[in-house]
Amino acid sequence: MELLSRLADSVEQGQSDNAKDFTQQCLDQGMEPNNVLLEGLMAGLNVIGGRFKRNECYIPEVLLAAKAMHQGLEILRPLLSDADAQSLGKVVLGTVEGDVHDIGKNILGMMLEGSGFEVIDVGVNTGADKFIETLQQEKAPILALSALLSTTMPALKKTIEALATAGMRDTVKVMVGGAPVTQEYADKIGADGYAVDAATAVDVAKSFL
Amino acid sequence: MKPRERFIAAIKRQETDRVPRFNRYVGAVKQKMAPIFGVDPNEFEIKQGNDGVLIQIGINGEYSHRLVGEGETYTSEWGVKYQGIHGFNQPVEHPLKTAELGGYKFPDPNKPERMDAIRAAMKQYHQDYAVMVDLSCTLFEAGFHLRGMENFVMDAYENEQFVMDVIDGLSNYYEKIGNRAIQEGIDVIRIGDDVGVQTGLIMPPDKWRQLVKPYLKRMIASFKQTNPDIIVKYHSCGDFSTIIPDVIEMGVELIGSMQPCGALADPFKIKEEFGDKVAFLGGLDVQQLLPNGSPQDVREGVKKVLKAYASGGGYVWMPAHYVNVDVPLENIWAMLEAVKEYGNFPINID
Ligand code: B12
Repeated sequence: MELLSRLADSVEQGQSDNAKDFTQQCLDQGMEPNNVLLEGLMAGLNVIGGRFKRNECYIPEVLLAAKAMHQGLEILRPLLSDADAQSLGKVVLGTVEGDVHDIGKNILGMMLEGSGFEVIDVGVNTGADKFIETLQQEKAPILALSALLSTTMPALKKTIEALATAGMRDTVKVMVGGAPVTQEYADKIGADGYAVDAATAVDVAKSFL
Repeated sequence: MKPRERFIAAIKRQETDRVPRFNRYVGAVKQKMAPIFGVDPNEFEIKQGNDGVLIQIGINGEYSHRLVGEGETYTSEWGVKYQGIHGFNQPVEHPLKTAELGGYKFPDPNKPERMDAIRAAMKQYHQDYAVMVDLSCTLFEAGFHLRGMENFVMDAYENEQFVMDVIDGLSNYYEKIGNRAIQEGIDVIRIGDDVGVQTGLIMPPDKWRQLVKPYLKRMIASFKQTNPDIIVKYHSCGDFSTIIPDVIEMGVELIGSMQPCGALADPFKIKEEFGDKVAFLGGLDVQQLLPNGSPQDVREGVKKVLKAYASGGGYVWMPAHYVNVDVPLENIWAMLEAVKEYGNFPINID
C-alpha cells in the first residue's frame, strides 16, 4: 500500500525515474499489474488533473506527470491481461482543420488515457474526412475536437455536420473544447458535450458511456 | 499633431487630441479591405488610421511572413523546419532534439541585410509616424521553435541549465539585432514572449524569474544604454498579470496585448493597479466579441476598453490580436467608428 502511494506521488510530481522504479518494485512484491496501474499510476495522474483544473499547478507539471505515468506504463503493458487492458472506450481526438495548437489537446489525451480511455490522437489540422475515417476504422464511440482559434471554431460545426452526412451522428458522441469555445457555442452547433478544462472533459467522456 | 508625437505622448501617459491607433490585420483581411479604402494592401494599416508602423525581425519576422505553399516545407536559418498549413507556417521539426546545445550555432545577428526592412520603413514613415521594431518570439517562446513547446517547458523543470543556455544564446542574438535597430533611430522596440494562457502563466512566476527574467533584464539594460530614450514594449498573449510588476521594474513602458482573460478580464482593475507606471496597448476581445458579437456589441466593447485604459492617457488602441478573417466587415467598421467617436480626449464615456 505504502509503495503504491509512493508510486502515485512520483507520478503526481512528474518524477519519471521514480515512477519506473516504484512500478518495478510493486511488481517485485507480487502486486497485480492492474492494481499498480489503477491505484499507482492513474491515481497519481488524477491528482494532478484535479490540481490543474483548480488552477493549482502549471502546464509543464501536467506534462511531466503524464511522462512519468508513461514510464511506468511501459513496464506494465506487456503484463496486463486482455481483461485488464479493457479500456473504458475509444476516443478519437484531434485539433480541427486550419488549427495547429496542440498542447490543450495533448493534455486532454493524457488525462483520458490516465482515466482508462484508449485514445487515438489524429494530430493537428485534421479535416472532417480524416476524423470520420478514423472513427470508422477504430469503431470508436467518442470524438473529441479541439479548436484554439475563433477562425477555426466553424470547423467544429463542419465536422459535426460531416458526421451527420456520413450517417454516424447517432452512433458517435462528440465533445468540443479549446480556449475560445463556450458551452453556448457547443450547444449551438449540436455537440454532445463541452468542457472548459481537461479534467472536466474526462467526466464528460465518462458521462457518454 | 503628428501621429508619431501622439503615439509617444500616449506611451508617456499624456492626453493629447485623441487615442493613437495601432490596428493590425492578417494578410487576407488587408487584401479584402484595401480595395474598399482604395489603397495598396501594404499601406492599408497606415491608411486606415494607424499612428505607427511595425517591422518584425528575428525568428518570428522570418517565419510568419514567408509564403509557403500548403503542405510544403522549408528550413529556416535557425534550423527549424516549417510546413505551410492554411497560410500559417507550423514548426514541424526542431533542431535541438535533446536537451543539449551541442554544437548548435545561432544565426549571425550582424548580417547587413537584417536592417533593410527597418531602413526602408524609417525612410518612408518616420518623418510622420512612430516606428516600432518587433523582436517577438524573443526568449522563452523562441525556445519553443528550437526545441518544441512541450519539450522546452518540461526542460524548464528537468534541465534548467539547458534552458538558460538556450535563452542566453537567444538573448545575445536579439540584443545585437535590437541594438542595431535602435541605432537606426526607431522609436519603440518590442519584445514578445507568449508566456500566458487563458488562466495565467504557462509556468510558475518564480520559474520565469529564475530562467528568463535575468536575460530580459540584461537585454533591456543594453537597449537603454544604446539609447536611453528608447521605448521598450513587452508583449505576451494570455494572462501574464503576475509578472507585470517584474516587467515594469525592468524599464518597460508599454505592455500588451491585454487579452481580456484571467486577471486581465477586468481592465479597470489593471489600469488602477499599474496605470501610473506603464502604458497599455490592446485589450479588445478577439476570441468571442470581435468575430461573433453584433456591431452594437463591438461598439460597447470598444467603449469599455477605452474607458478603462485610455482615461487619463497611457493607452494605444488595438484589439488583443490581429483582426482575423472571421471578423465580419460590419464589425470592423463598428470598431473603427467607435474608436473614432469615443477615442478623443478627454475620454467621456458612461
Ligand atoms: C501557444 C500558442 C500558440 C503556439 C501553439 C503551439 C502548440 N504546439 O500548440 C503557436 C505559436 C504555434 C501559435 C500560433 C498561432 N496562434 Co496561438 N496561442 C498560443 C497561446 C499563447 C497558448 C495556447 C495554449 O497552449 N494553451 C494551453 C492549453 C493547455 O490550453 P487550451 O488549449 O485552451 O486547452 C485547455 C482547454 O481549452 C481544454 N480543451 C482543449 N481542447 C479541448 C477539446 C475538448 C474536446 C475539450 C472537452 C476540452 C478541450 O482543455 C485544455 C486543458 O485544460 C494562446 C493564448 C491563449 N490565451 O490561449 C494563443 C492564441 C490561441 N493564438 C492565437 C493566434 C491568433 C495564433 C495565430 C493565428 C498567430 C499568427 N498569426 O501567427 C497562429 C495560428 C496558427 C494556427 N493556424 O493554428 C490567438 C487566437 C485569437 C482568436 N481570434 O481566437 C490566441 C488566443 C492569442 C491571442 N492573444 O489572442 N499559438
